[in-house]
Amino acid sequence: MKNKDVIIIGGGVIGCAIAYYLSKQHVKVLVLEKEEIGAGGSSRNGGGVRQSARDPRELPLAMHAIRNIWPGLSDELGVDVEYCQKGNLRLAKTEEHIKILERAINQGCSAGLDLKLIDQKEVRDICPYVSEDVIAASFCPTDGHGNPMLTTLAYYKRARELGAEFITGESVISVLLQKGNVSGIQTDLNTYSSDQVVLAAGFDSRTIANTVGIDIPMQKILVEALVTDQQPRMFPQMIGTAAADFYGHQTKHGSFVFGGMTGLEPFASEETEPVTRSITASSICRAILGYFPAISQANIVRTWSGFLDVAADKVPVLGRVEEVPGLTLACAFSGHGYGISPTIGEAIAALVVDEKSGVSLDAFHYDRFKPKA
Amino acid sequence: MKRYELIVIGAGPAGLSAAIEAASHGMPVIVFDENPRPGGQLFKQIHKFFGSKEHRAKERGFRIGRQLLEEARRMGVEVMLQATVLGIYDGKEVSVMRDGQVEHFKANNIIIATGASEKMVPFSGWTLPGVIGAGAAQTMMNLHGLKPGNKVLMVGSGNVGVVVGYQLMQAGCKIEAVIDGAPRVGGYGVHAAKLARLGVPFYLSHTIKEAKGKICVEGATIVKVDSTWQAIPGSEKVLDVDTICIAVGLSPMSQLARTAHCDMENNAGKGGLVSICNEYGETSTPGVYAVGDVAGIEEASSAMIQGKIAGVAVSHSRGYLDTADFNNQVAQHQRSLKQLRQGMFGHREKGQNDPTQTEEGYPLSRTLLERGYLAEEELQNYPGVRFQKGQGVRPVVECTQNIPCNPCQDACKRGCITVSGKITNLPAVDEAVECTGCGMCVVSCPGQAIFLVDDTLAPGYSGVSIPYEFSPLPAEGSKGLALDRSGRVLGEVEVTTVKQSRVMDETAILTMKVPGDWSMKVRSFQPY
Amino acid sequence: MTQRMKRTRSQHDFVPLADDSLIICRCEEITQGEIRKAVYDGMSTMNEVKRYLRAGMGLCQGQTCSHLVQNIIAGELGVPPGEVETHLSRSPVRPIQMIELAQDGGEK
Repeated sequence: MKNKDVIIIGGGVIGCAIAYYLSKQHVKVLVLEKEEIGAGGSSRNGGGVRQSARDPRELPLAMHAIRNIWPGLSDELGVDVEYCQKGNLRLAKTEEHIKILERAINQGCSAGLDLKLIDQKEVRDICPYVSEDVIAASFCPTDGHGNPMLTTLAYYKRARELGAEFITGESVISVLLQKGNVSGIQTDLNTYSSDQVVLAAGFDSRTIANTVGIDIPMQKILVEALVTDQQPRMFPQMIGTAAADFYGHQTKHGSFVFGGMTGLEPFASEETEPVTRSITASSICRAILGYFPAISQANIVRTWSGFLDVAADKVPVLGRVEEVPGLTLACAFSGHGYGISPTIGEAIAALVVDEKSGVSLDAFHYDRFKPKA
Repeated sequence: MKRYELIVIGAGPAGLSAAIEAASHGMPVIVFDENPRPGGQLFKQIHKFFGSKEHRAKERGFRIGRQLLEEARRMGVEVMLQATVLGIYDGKEVSVMRDGQVEHFKANNIIIATGASEKMVPFSGWTLPGVIGAGAAQTMMNLHGLKPGNKVLMVGSGNVGVVVGYQLMQAGCKIEAVIDGAPRVGGYGVHAAKLARLGVPFYLSHTIKEAKGKICVEGATIVKVDSTWQAIPGSEKVLDVDTICIAVGLSPMSQLARTAHCDMENNAGKGGLVSICNEYGETSTPGVYAVGDVAGIEEASSAMIQGKIAGVAVSHSRGYLDTADFNNQVAQHQRSLKQLRQGMFGHREKGQNDPTQTEEGYPLSRTLLERGYLAEEELQNYPGVRFQKGQGVRPVVECTQNIPCNPCQDACKRGCITVSGKITNLPAVDEAVECTGCGMCVVSCPGQAIFLVDDTLAPGYSGVSIPYEFSPLPAEGSKGLALDRSGRVLGEVEVTTVKQSRVMDETAILTMKVPGDWSMKVRSFQPY
Repeated sequence: MTQRMKRTRSQHDFVPLADDSLIICRCEEITQGEIRKAVYDGMSTMNEVKRYLRAGMGLCQGQTCSHLVQNIIAGELGVPPGEVETHLSRSPVRPIQMIELAQDGGEK
């Protein structure tokens, strides 16, 4: 089989972004995707491009993307990825909620983020559609949202134009080693050789990494999203809640995209395919209308679901696997990979090409998981 | 959660038949349908169905619908209307919206019978008001009593196109043309012939290029296509129409099957994306069945049998029917289904070949395939046209294609007409049997292809009797124009008798007194 | 099962057609030309075209346009329409107001 400089496993937003930044540097890339481009979490995604409420370890990745990449991304890729930087409101209805917000605000501020607690009046000035029940919110003006499906496909399109090769509908089974080093991969149909393999396959990364003796403690969690029909333009902010009962935004098209969970997801039966469950959409709707009664007449036209690859400590696993030379990980994004995908793409590409990632990925090392005692 | 033994989704011919069958074996059944009235497409089918007695041939679709509803009621089937199934979830849970409320039900078995929607063909102006699906036109006319337009172009010569075209004429519209990209009429020749003899031109190998008009349809440009479906420049024709009916096929509404994780396949012969089913209609999701158009586009008569088969299968699998009965009943239904699927329009043959002769070896009429009517000189080729001069009143059966249909042979109590062997064989007239001229064969033919001629009516005159389904009925003694098979006006004639009775089911028989040598020419009457 | 597909850069320039302005997806007003260009840009399945352009994302969920979109993709890729990966179908198969869904307690 043809030799490639780098093989990327996974054609989601992470894999496509890495493929783009590598192709930009004239690296010969092959991306293998078992389904379609963006079929996984990249198309089952609330679209948040947030810094607020991020784990302090992840915050620099988000800040880098928002300062340096997101604002020019549509122009760079030649596709409008619908990036909108009009802030993030995280809404609170109770004193308990305010306490949750305050903790996140303290963390964000100490990392230099413009994030503050605002009162009911200020919330309503920013977004007049919130219900009377909302008593406060955290507001981060530099946060925003984008269209994850378009972002993924835009990275794919541009990478393909720059010469990256994509194969969809082919499943990677294992990573191959020769003399202790990565030598390629084995799929259900073929063998491909390369001494550099980047694993960005969402939850499937775990089974693939297992074939070279690496295990990433992560969980596969079902999340669901829903979309309404086109509505009059109401508010441009990304919305979340302290209660974490839903999140979402109004898209450029005018439809609202929301995501959420019922709380029962970790106990869902083993599913190979993502399914929508009969109780979830209504639960998300109840949550939303508790904050935004004004959109109660909007029609839900579709619901869909996907899997999160949630790491034990809820931050991604990124970077070189030193004990398996040639293997690089970019997985376990735990439900917040989209906003940082440009940084990840750039950093992993740099790591593969120059051995240096630019932003530090040290906090995301695969070996960081330790027992309690 | 409330659990049903069987949930049927869709109260059309397939769904109701399945529900009735399952209920007849003792299964508790509920049927959901999103429409305000049950019956699916049956209640707009005002034409007589094809097939044999067991397929309810020569009955009009809407009457079959009424019978199914009556039967369902008798069997204790619960039919819930304006109940929209939103999705099928794991564990065969179904969410249903009704009166703005969402309810959840579980089922041990689900039969999906959601039918199909109309396919569209894009052309310049296809989004203008006035471009409508033929099925939509049929709904407007036959359910809501609205005329969809006045001057209509019918795009598509399949059975939907020609049947709806005829019904549009019955509703008082003028069909300016029937066009089809294919080089031959796609529907039954007898349906096309009904239109042709009313003067409707057929343009085969023609496609629509443009709907003209700014805010609604004000005309249409059609264009001839070559054998690779490319428009031939310079062959454009402008038609003065206000309505363009699209009858280019149906596509299965298989979304619910997909929400139930059924394995699907793209099957052009079945109309598009359908779930992969076994011989009983069961999908890859155990206990979930798909029947009727959602499982593959066919006639309503086939849908009803498929429904019965699924009803029998589900009853057997859940212990309501023993294996011997199951085997018997399935075999019987499958035989019946096979009959309907025979012939040159059978579901396996559809579009697959271009036969030049019938299965028995009679030559197929090219004019029928290319212009929608039989040429007079071709008539003698067929076994339904057999008589001797001076023999008196005789049936002339202008049925020339292998269509699964035989009510004509049951209609004649004297055994003058027989469809021997396969149900798709052409009816043959036995010239030795004396005809009483009762006309029962004329009204029993769903294709309106049987006529009576009497060359002994009066010296120099013949009687020609035709089936007539327009209102108002002409009065006896009134005059009008006699038309030939192509719709060409032959001249003025007098209507001598108009026969109508309950058993004729709304089909009247007009007898015209025509000059003697017109007896094999006159096939249509146009009142003044 | 997802069809295997190799996707590399198009070897020729995009060629517009005279009837590219034809609307294909009526709900979202997506034209034939936009769909053709999306395929040229690498979108090779119904889902990808849908996510890229919104074709089939409207109120009818693609019931009207999906076979048209499928034919265009197939034509551009030079494969039979049946080989084009179809898009997913998700409940609700008919639109439903948020308030109606919110009142659904999950059981009755």
